[in-house]
Amino acid sequence: MSKKGKGVRAKERRAGWFFLMPATIMICIMSFWPMIQAFITSFKSGKGAQLSWADPWNFNYSRILQDKIFITSLKNTFLYLIIEVPIMLILAILLAQILNNKDLRFKGLFRTMVFLPCATSLVSYALIFRSLFATQGLINQVLLNLHIISENINWLGTAGTAKAIIIIALIWRWTGYNMVFYLAGLQNIDYQVYEAAKIDGASSWKTFWGITVPLLKPVIVMTFIMSINGTLQLFDESVNLTNGGPANATITMSHYVYNMAFGQGVGHFGYSSAMSFVIFIMVAILAWINMKVGDTRD
Amino acid sequence: MKRKLFAVLTAGIMAASLLAPMTAFAEAEGADVASEDENTLSVYAWDANFNIPALEAAEKDYQENVNPDFKLNIITQSGSSDVENAVTLAGQSGDYSNLPDIVLFQDHYFQQFYVSYPEAWQDLSAADIDWSDFGAEKLSFSTYEDVHYGVPVDNGTAIMAYRTDLLEEAGYSMDDMRGCTWDKFIEVGKAVYEKTGKYLLCMDGSGNDLPYMMLQAEGESQFTDGEPTFASNEKYIQIIKDIVIMVENNILYLGNNWSEYTDQAIVGDMVAGVLNGNWIIPTMEQAAENSGKWEITSLPTLEGGAGFASNGGSSLYITGNCTKPELAADFLAKTFGAGSTATYDAALLNGGVITCSAKAGASEVYQEGIDFFNGQPIYSDIVAMGANVPVVEQSDYHYACRNYVGTAIQNLIQAGEPTDESVQAALQDAQDQLAFEMAG
Amino acid sequence: MTKRNKSMVQRRLIPSYIFLIIWSFISVFPLFWMITAATNNTVDISRGRIWFGTAAAENFQKLLAAQPLWKSMGNSFIYSIAQTILCLLICSLAGFGFELYADKAKDRLFAFLLLAMMIPGVATMIPLFTMISKMGMLNSVWGFILPQIATPFMIMMFRQNSRNFPAAIMEAARIDGQSEVGIFFRQYMPIMRSTYAAAAVITFMNAWNAYLWPKVVMTDNKAQTMPMLIANLAAGYTIDYGVLMMGVLFCSIPTMLVFFILQKQFAEGITGSVK
Repeated sequence: MSKKGKGVRAKERRAGWFFLMPATIMICIMSFWPMIQAFITSFKSGKGAQLSWADPWNFNYSRILQDKIFITSLKNTFLYLIIEVPIMLILAILLAQILNNKDLRFKGLFRTMVFLPCATSLVSYALIFRSLFATQGLINQVLLNLHIISENINWLGTAGTAKAIIIIALIWRWTGYNMVFYLAGLQNIDYQVYEAAKIDGASSWKTFWGITVPLLKPVIVMTFIMSINGTLQLFDESVNLTNGGPANATITMSHYVYNMAFGQGVGHFGYSSAMSFVIFIMVAILAWINMKVGDTRD
Repeated sequence: MKRKLFAVLTAGIMAASLLAPMTAFAEAEGADVASEDENTLSVYAWDANFNIPALEAAEKDYQENVNPDFKLNIITQSGSSDVENAVTLAGQSGDYSNLPDIVLFQDHYFQQFYVSYPEAWQDLSAADIDWSDFGAEKLSFSTYEDVHYGVPVDNGTAIMAYRTDLLEEAGYSMDDMRGCTWDKFIEVGKAVYEKTGKYLLCMDGSGNDLPYMMLQAEGESQFTDGEPTFASNEKYIQIIKDIVIMVENNILYLGNNWSEYTDQAIVGDMVAGVLNGNWIIPTMEQAAENSGKWEITSLPTLEGGAGFASNGGSSLYITGNCTKPELAADFLAKTFGAGSTATYDAALLNGGVITCSAKAGASEVYQEGIDFFNGQPIYSDIVAMGANVPVVEQSDYHYACRNYVGTAIQNLIQAGEPTDESVQAALQDAQDQLAFEMAG
Repeated sequence: MTKRNKSMVQRRLIPSYIFLIIWSFISVFPLFWMITAATNNTVDISRGRIWFGTAAAENFQKLLAAQPLWKSMGNSFIYSIAQTILCLLICSLAGFGFELYADKAKDRLFAFLLLAMMIPGVATMIPLFTMISKMGMLNSVWGFILPQIATPFMIMMFRQNSRNFPAAIMEAARIDGQSEVGIFFRQYMPIMRSTYAAAAVITFMNAWNAYLWPKVVMTDNKAQTMPMLIANLAAGYTIDYGVLMMGVLFCSIPTMLVFFILQKQFAEGITGSVK
């Protein structure tokens, strides 16, 4: 390589770094720096601003395991994760598959309607769902009129149904969002692959598992990571729909962290920070496993 | 060509956007709330139908009688928790410069916020206020180690309201309810639900204030010398058991959230009785078709005899950020602090805010009979009841305690058939949880 | 294809249509209810009325009287548009840099930046607030947007889409003597415009709907956003549901409009992201 060529390469490399500098600096200042400060706080204890170094140093971290409500919130969050994420993603793939059929009519209309829930704000949709599922709300009235139930069900006041409603609300809001990613992925698959499979006499079930899923794998991995990340940090639904009740039956980890810092007046910021780090580590581990499992390169 | 145009356009927009906000907004909207002109005070408050009209009344009063140039910049918050969060954030960051001059603050929260962020508040002892005009119980919230920090605004005295027509239908009258025992209340409640299908009591199950009020009416606290002791309090065990029994017998309706309690139970005409701080009255009045059928009295107690309690209520505090403490103190001292009739009468008429100043309570407006309550002069009755509320020990952990006890109640309801043992065990759990949190 | 053939195909699609209709109904019904509720008064809403009422004008007037609707709408628009433009610029620059100048060191940096996505927002709220407040940016558009203008997700999206950007164009431009920055603005941006559209929809929606962070940094009523306006309507001891739903409706219209307008580019842009 000539000297001149090398100079160009170095210039390009510098340009490359120049392009990603603004974002890197912003993320360092706005995410990593506060995170380091929170990490330091997680070794302190005390009320509000009256913080001092915790004694022993792992005081906050060792408390987490003894905290019954944190354990409850952990169980709740993983229940949402295990039930909601698969149902939502399967529904999303199914919808994408149907909408990808080139013979289907009114495609744009259906796509818009399926996506619409995700354009509503969290504050709004929590209000809507809370009103619909209130004890005297519309859902109960409809079910009563259809004689499916004989008396009002206390949806949000019973542990099992309250959990179910959080899951339903999450599926309602996020299925369309994920569907868009799958649909985009499907549109990149050459339609003739399907035609060929049809001629070979493969059932649609076989085509789905044999062709669609493998080709969609990178998208599926991405949506999985996004959903796991979103679910483990779930906050708004728990706060706005059920306020964690009844009797902490629906509280999520992030909600509990928030309560410990802001919710009940006495701010335990050291303990909250420690719990946040436990959540951070869990998300990172799950995302890492997911990437390893979904890695197509090796 | 098209491409080039697009590039020029986007580059132009981006360049403009980088510069425009910097100049336009950084100055225009970044105004510090505390740096307004010398006659203006800023204040945080949170209910457009309740405490904000009271503040407007005080502003007008001060303008008319003291300083015509005075202005109160009322900054609306979406709830009392917003004010608490603002103080928390200021305190945590050590930067109080974004707090307003004055905040309206919930009584139960003040103590713990004083302990956590002492710099957020200013001593009011020097202000020209006759403290003896206010009830001792109310002042016990806003003082810390005998130093006054807050000026009382509304009165949290609890009322027990009954629908006289429904009581009659079930074969009872108001005379049966005055100073009755909770056992009698349960007996009446059963009859009322049987005859009319209405609940004799209701509450928000997610923020259940009943245990606190019922225990205060017995003259006791959930805490002793700063430690939670409720699990070994026999009266408290009986109270919690009664609450669960009332739920099981359709005497008490527990809503899942605030909206179900107010909009559905109270406004939706599901109940024959309401027990809460008197600020609940405007909500009751929304069900206008029941006007004239309500009357109020004191709480039942375990052994019988009138019970008095309070719940909610808030006071005004000057923040550590206030640069005009003389003006702020003078404003508070000459309006809310002086029992000023001009302030309190308008506050009552426009916002339904009832005073805890004995002097303001003597005004004519307070003596009038209220049609909605069958002509009963409820406002003067409430001020009179307020004087009887026993002072009980307060705790930083009042709301944390409420949450844990609320959880215990929910669990007992799910399990059904409460016994002294099961209640005691559930409360012990709650107390352990609370002690665990307090140890952090 | 013959007519008969076509109708056979359509007949086979009947289960698909049924499924789509049911799901669309589930998706749209709560929003439909929100719209009708905005035209009813509180009493009718709590009695479960589903159809349109006559209180729309009254609710609207009450909303105007109760809250600074236009001011909040204006704020939300300014914050959301500023955030969208800056976020798109910074993240697309990074995506461009990470993909088209890729080397080992940059890949490692990218993986490291992804960690930022996994930090629970509650944990960093107080340190972040302290920082913003010390910089004097409370109640300003900067306080609102700064923490959100560089997000790992957006960088990832631009990076993946950049794989579609033909390397030949870069070489040609370099031979033409264009600078690297010139290539970004003159070649990359126009070609990637559907990715920009998709990213704009997502960023705008996130910015518009943000609640917790704006609540923390916007301490002055004058800086109030639409979700904060709704929360204010839903607060207090008594709530007027008709007015509240009118507010919710106004809060929902802009995000839906943005999606409707950019729908086609949105789909194309997302497509690019997964190739």
